[in-house]
Amino acid sequence: MTLEVVEPGPLTTVQAPGGRPGWQRFGVPVGGAADPWSARLANRLVGNADDAPLLEATLAGPTLRFDSATLVAIAGAAWRATLDGLPFPANHARPVRAGATLRVGTGAGARAYVAVAGLVVQSVLGSPSTDLRTGFGGQDGRALRAGDRLQIAAQPGHPMRWLGRPAASGPIRIVPGPHASWFAPDALTGTAWRVGEAADRAGVRLEGEHVRPGRDTEIASIGLPLGAIQVPPDGRPIVMLADRPVTGGYPVPACVIRADAGRVAQLRSGDELRLASVSMEEAIEALRQAEADLEDLEPFSLTSDDELGWIGSHG
Amino acid sequence: MLASRLPPHSRALHPFGEAAALLGLAGPEEAQALAASLVADQAPWLLGAVPGLQSLLVEFAPLRTDAAGVESDLLARLASLPAETPARGRQRTIPVAYGGDFGPDLEEVARLTGRSTDDVVRLHAAGELRVLFDGFAPGFAYLGDLPKQLRVPRLATPRTRTPRGSVAIAGAMSGIYPADLPGGWRVIGRTPIELFDPLRDPPAYLVPGDTLRFEPIAAADWDRYMGEPADW
Repeated sequence: MTLEVVEPGPLTTVQAPGGRPGWQRFGVPVGGAADPWSARLANRLVGNADDAPLLEATLAGPTLRFDSATLVAIAGAAWRATLDGLPFPANHARPVRAGATLRVGTGAGARAYVAVAGLVVQSVLGSPSTDLRTGFGGQDGRALRAGDRLQIAAQPGHPMRWLGRPAASGPIRIVPGPHASWFAPDALTGTAWRVGEAADRAGVRLEGEHVRPGRDTEIASIGLPLGAIQVPPDGRPIVMLADRPVTGGYPVPACVIRADAGRVAQLRSGDELRLASVSMEEAIEALRQAEADLEDLEPFSLTSDDELGWIGSHG
Repeated sequence: MLASRLPPHSRALHPFGEAAALLGLAGPEEAQALAASLVADQAPWLLGAVPGLQSLLVEFAPLRTDAAGVESDLLARLASLPAETPARGRQRTIPVAYGGDFGPDLEEVARLTGRSTDDVVRLHAAGELRVLFDGFAPGFAYLGDLPKQLRVPRLATPRTRTPRGSVAIAGAMSGIYPADLPGGWRVIGRTPIELFDPLRDPPAYLVPGDTLRFEPIAAADWDRYMGEPADW
């Protein structure tokens, strides 16, 4: 049982939501889904384990053909998508029949996650995630291409749908980093930012007023957690994401809270944003809320009113 | 050129977001020893440990773990670390073709240090260096300390692509790019050997504690050294 990549989209990779932790002391990035919350949601919708491999599409989606029946769900960026020509909603798992074609289009947001019940990808260093820069994991360490075939194991499951609300709008929330005292308190929060051209799985560069530390512009290299905001000597902050280097040598005034790291990964070059400071307690509460939102699922049967309405309105 | 220490002083725990903390330490040996202790004992709160030059980053799940508990565990472990220096790692020899297309910054390094290019190569290959920590990218080892005569600043504008195998220097350290990577260090040569293999354990050829020397080779001998070293 396989799915075939008919058209890969600009950059579609195999990722596991949690990436490849535990190898950082050999320089290996954690990697994994750039928006891990959305990736976990997609997996839950089709009955996969949270950390199962799935597809991360960038800016626009792939076209996939299935040679056997399975369940599929899309989460993250809410892009237009069709299954055999009929609209395919985000955040709802749908059964697909053998021979079906799923076309994922584009729309607002930078990254969509396509979860397939029972998708099997071999692990390298403990994870199926693709490390594009060094070139290992996923599909031969590279982005998917037309003609690639991925294995699907038979996995009886029940389609789920998500009842929650879309991610919070408003400023991206930050808490202090180790060099907070080197910078003016409002250096990051007192100004509007725009996402620069350099925006990828490693990080997002922010354009706006230049930020200068009151002390050194370089530091002895330190480990960088998800969401760390590094300020290189050019004064343009970089929010570090999944494929960030394991260590960095520039001061870190702040860190994006875990609950908002995925929101940063959904920004596109040119998007505008603001940063706002919150307390550690607020950051932890936001994470608790994000975890609770992930539980907001219900199974639905194929003969439910919802499904009949869906078929009726398009069939 | 030596980068400054963390504020405000060593052995203090700095918040680093709600899911991580950074402990300032005396040096890379202490960071490696503390990380090894956490990993060996499978500290129940530990999600990740990243030793740096003078610090250890630890990651934890803030919904399950109290940061104060992390701090007390780290400080207790630090107090009970053995005082003797850790066992020496393996001794490595890294073949390097210096200069030319392989070392585009060699001439500039010679100019900056007021020496001939031959002198720069001799100084780089003369001493024994130690792997201080792995970081930046898979298999990238931070090597120190370079002789004082060889210390140059990073490039003002980093390269978007530094070719695989590039041997570079910046400040007191040398490093080798295991893959095509962006980089701001000055490239003086290139090695034909592979430094990272995700199918091996450990996946990095150079690991903290190893010592190494660079061995100048002729570009014509490149093919003889290509591939993974026999003593991985």
